[in-house]
Amino acid sequence: MTDSIFEVDHLFLSYPGARGHPAIDILNDISFSVKRGGALTLVGPSGSGKSSVLRCLNRLVEPSSGTVRFDGRDSRSLDPRELRCRVALVMQTPVMFEGTVRDNLCIRPAGIEGDFSEERLAATLDEVGLESTLLDREASTLSGGEKQRVTIARALLRDPQALLLDEPTSALDPPNALLVVETVSRLCAARGLSIIAATHQPDLVHRLGGGLVYLIKGRVAAFQSLDGPDANAPMDARLRAFLAGEKIAGGSGLT
Amino acid sequence: MTATAPIIDLSVGQLATALLLVAAIIVVSIRQGLGLERDLAVGTIRAIVQLYLVGLILAAVFAAARWYWVLLILCVMTAVATQAAVSRLGKPLPGGAWIAAIALTVSTTATLAYVIGVVVHPWYEPQYIIPIAGMILGNSMTSAAIAGDRLQSDLRARADEIEARLALGFSGRQAVQPMIRASLRAAMIPTVNGMMTIGLVQLPGMMTGQILAGSSPLVAIRYQMVVVFMQGAATALGSLIFVRLATRRYLTPAHQLQRYLL
Repeated sequence: MTDSIFEVDHLFLSYPGARGHPAIDILNDISFSVKRGGALTLVGPSGSGKSSVLRCLNRLVEPSSGTVRFDGRDSRSLDPRELRCRVALVMQTPVMFEGTVRDNLCIRPAGIEGDFSEERLAATLDEVGLESTLLDREASTLSGGEKQRVTIARALLRDPQALLLDEPTSALDPPNALLVVETVSRLCAARGLSIIAATHQPDLVHRLGGGLVYLIKGRVAAFQSLDGPDANAPMDARLRAFLAGEKIAGGSGLT
Repeated sequence: MTATAPIIDLSVGQLATALLLVAAIIVVSIRQGLGLERDLAVGTIRAIVQLYLVGLILAAVFAAARWYWVLLILCVMTAVATQAAVSRLGKPLPGGAWIAAIALTVSTTATLAYVIGVVVHPWYEPQYIIPIAGMILGNSMTSAAIAGDRLQSDLRARADEIEARLALGFSGRQAVQPMIRASLRAAMIPTVNGMMTIGLVQLPGMMTGQILAGSSPLVAIRYQMVVVFMQGAATALGSLIFVRLATRRYLTPAHQLQRYLL
């Protein structure tokens, strides 16, 4: 039994180019591991491959080569549908399906078991800082911050072991972003969830701790442990600047 | 081939007079700055040349009445229809031409099997099989093109929604079911609407042709009914097969949406 929830080993990802064009490289030799119950944040300019790394972790995207081990097993040996219930993804732009908040929380493929009782729905909404009175609201009428917290609640209802967050705050205004950051960091501590987040928010990185990976053009440009024995290792100047709230040079979207 | 009433043949002179109409449209286009003169001229010339060639070929095939000539013509028609069906896709789908070829061949053959089995003997009677196959193929082609185009644009526009479903443990097929439904509806609606108003607004082309050729309207409507029902079947089958096969290209066995194809 390993103490890592994820072990990512020499991950490469490329897409075939259009006719007569070379393949497009997205990820180039990415390796890292995440401790069970631990956290990892991915930072870097837009287009640096943060989302693609997350999508390889729940196998929404198939790596061209390299392996992702989840809970000690090669993720390719698991049914992708089961893997995705155990490794829940919260996307940058919250997707609300037609219907009420309740419909959105309970949506699941036929035959999937789980506790979707009224008490559980209310408790989970409470966990992400929402009132249970929202259950009967049309999901499309929620604010951006509420929608994002509903998608987090929807993910939690699957009892995942790990939560992937793809820039969960970038579509939100600062007060809402702060609420989501607080929600997520509380979850990490309270549930023992492993969290892997792509973010532009130094705030979220500070709160989650764990490992910090700086990606540029699909490569790991720097790595830093934020807690544990390696936390005092000399930090990459770009990462120190980022954590201090500065924009990283050349990082068009890194704010 | 014998008509019951005398048919007015068109002389070359009478045909040439019809060109005056085109000339008039071209004048309108220039006056109004529509910029369509060139396309109108090219379209007119193509119409003359293509129809003339088709007339010559059909006359020869009708005279020969050999099954292999009929089969060759059907193959050429299918190839052209296949090309036209996939050219409508916003972004080329790898293997799309094969998918369209299968969809059109299967839907047309299955529908034609009825005519061949029940109505026409021998099956390669070119006077019947070629025009009827053409009408069915045309419907399959249009419906596959509409369905394919709609499927692709819906998958592109709703990719986040699809991936959200996949991330919640849905299978690929389950995740794209709403888009499949929308594209099939889009392909079927023109045919269904057409059935509602058929004969009330305009007489269908084949029926018009038969009446012009001297058939009794009561004979013409029977043929038209058969053709309408066959067109409905071909539309449904053509779009269904195309969408099913195309969906399998956009998804992987591991329930992934191949976004780079969209």
